[in-house]
Amino acid sequence: MKKLALSLTNFLLILLLVFTTSSVFARQVELEFFQSKREAVTTFNELITKFEAENPNIKVIQNQVPDAETVLKSRLARNNVPDIMGLGGNYTYGQIAAAGILKDFSNDPYLAKTQLAYQKMLQDLHGKKGHYGIPYTANANTVLYNKDKFAELNLEIPKTWEQFIDTAKKIKAAGGTPFYLTFKDAWTIIVPWNSLAANLHGENFIEQRLENETTFEDRYQKVAERIYKLLDYGQNDVFGYGYSQGNQAFANGESFMYIQGVWAINPILESNPDLNLGAFALPAVNDADENMLVSGVDTVLTMNKNTDHPEAAEKFIEFLLEEENAQFYIDEQMTFSAVENVFQEDPTVVDLKTYFESGNLAPFPDHYYPSGMQVPNLIQGFLHEGDVEEFLNTLDSEWNKVQSR
Amino acid sequence: MKKTSSVFYWMTIPAFILFFVFHTLPALQGIFYSFTDYIGFGDYGFVGFRNFINLLNDGRAFDAYIFTFKFAIVSTIIVNILSLLIALGLNAKIKFKDTFRAIYFVPYMLSILVVGYIFNHIFTFILPEIGRNLGIDILSKNILGNMDLAWIGVVILAVWNSSGFNTLLYLSGLQTVPDELYEVAKIDGAGKWDQFKHITFPLIAPFFTINIVISMRGFLMVFDHIMALTQGGPGRATESITLLIYNGGFMGGEFAYQTANAVVFLIVVLSISLFQIKVLQKREVDY
Repeated sequence: MKKLALSLTNFLLILLLVFTTSSVFARQVELEFFQSKREAVTTFNELITKFEAENPNIKVIQNQVPDAETVLKSRLARNNVPDIMGLGGNYTYGQIAAAGILKDFSNDPYLAKTQLAYQKMLQDLHGKKGHYGIPYTANANTVLYNKDKFAELNLEIPKTWEQFIDTAKKIKAAGGTPFYLTFKDAWTIIVPWNSLAANLHGENFIEQRLENETTFEDRYQKVAERIYKLLDYGQNDVFGYGYSQGNQAFANGESFMYIQGVWAINPILESNPDLNLGAFALPAVNDADENMLVSGVDTVLTMNKNTDHPEAAEKFIEFLLEEENAQFYIDEQMTFSAVENVFQEDPTVVDLKTYFESGNLAPFPDHYYPSGMQVPNLIQGFLHEGDVEEFLNTLDSEWNKVQSR
Repeated sequence: MKKTSSVFYWMTIPAFILFFVFHTLPALQGIFYSFTDYIGFGDYGFVGFRNFINLLNDGRAFDAYIFTFKFAIVSTIIVNILSLLIALGLNAKIKFKDTFRAIYFVPYMLSILVVGYIFNHIFTFILPEIGRNLGIDILSKNILGNMDLAWIGVVILAVWNSSGFNTLLYLSGLQTVPDELYEVAKIDGAGKWDQFKHITFPLIAPFFTINIVISMRGFLMVFDHIMALTQGGPGRATESITLLIYNGGFMGGEFAYQTANAVVFLIVVLSISLFQIKVLQKREVDY
């Protein structure tokens, strides 16, 4: 018995020694990088490897979970804030930024490396003076089209809403499917909605709606009518299929156009690498020069105000913002950079470049709708029932209800 | 009366602590938050009964209640009829009885989310294919994309999934019925239906009670089924209370408001369960 006790103490001693020495050698800083884009996991991993090679004493652990925003919110509820975060520039980001748990980057030199338009978009989301995040990449809300099929019918990229509908009519007359609509997944309806609303709801709609100076009923008539019009040119059973089935179908050439943002390009090319596809901005208005491309901050980088390792975390953010790394990221992800002098040159999205040059960009309208309204589901319901007046009234009453809580 | 040894009280302590920490405490916390304007993180203040008053005027919550009850009542009835029938069949003297019992129980052991995605595939591709071939118009499209029919898809999944469990309970009930009673009934010249009506059913009434209460309670909490099939759509046609609480509370930043909703829902479910037990227990007999 005594022998056993002795060997046990020896064993414990050895264990203790091993742990203490290893922790002495491993004076490594460990950072959690929580990010919400599943498609970007490998790209970030490559960047992290590069970063760790340059900074051997910092270890960055990427954390990507499904439904990242919900997970993050529940973690924040427990006051468990990740060190570094890469989030979508949307309503949720605004809420988190307004809650005062993120670092204020206003005086940091690297903030100035990014485009002012996107900095402003982020500020509008939380309505405060500071900069609680750094815009990293931007996306674009587009219509994807099958270049080969367009060539078959001698079609050109439509520049106005009328041309857009004409194009769809021609395709339908030729026996093709103009759009593959994936309205089983409510969120996909927000894609055409955003393009239409951004161009048609008029200036300062959100500010005025917040002040109760205007209503959806006043400003969204055309938006609702035009989105309803799209139903005429979808495949059979537009409410029967969802996003992944839509990507698949468009990749297989089942439709001429597919109303999705640039984020869908990679998944589509994955199922059919030979697809010759392009992207154009949905022409929501009839004056081609006035049409705006809806573009928002795809990834905003930010960090916990109270992280244990602020220098290391800042170092990682600065690293990501370096031109070379920013370029690498957008080339891999087919997005656009918010860092100045870094441009997307891919031929697939070349038709969008004029918008970035002229600055005819508009933020995503739905990022400013309170998410408690669940606008996508409301639109889905409207597309089933088709009553514009009732739908716009619902939007207004839901807005009022959510604001009053 | 003999005094109970204090050891028995001590033995309940660990379970009591676990239950209190992981169940009672969060529930109390939830009730606390329902009187605040907490959004899930950051600062908050007290708002009294405002959340509950807003809830009364919330048409969306009302619709969710209607859907949830419609779904729960229909599913409970179908599940109980179906599982009673299956149990009667499996209790008879048939070949491969044990194999069948195992097979009928399998759906209950599978994760609803996994099965849900399979059913999603069936509703999206296979059923419309069959519908088109048979020329049935209503089946030729995905029923989950139809505002009036989507809830039926959810019912089908729920019934398929949970019948196995209720069958098991009915089976164990049927085995408590003594064979002599049937022999006596036979001698008296009672037919199969009379045997069922006057012997089997009254004797398994306690199991009927527990089955109704359990399935009703389970279906009122319906969540994963809808998550896997429709996410509450089309529109809000299949939004259950739990889904509304989740969507509004976690995704919509209305944590406190939806907690208030959850508190109300807790009271509703509790009173329904108590009511069911009271009413149904009156019907139970003891020979």
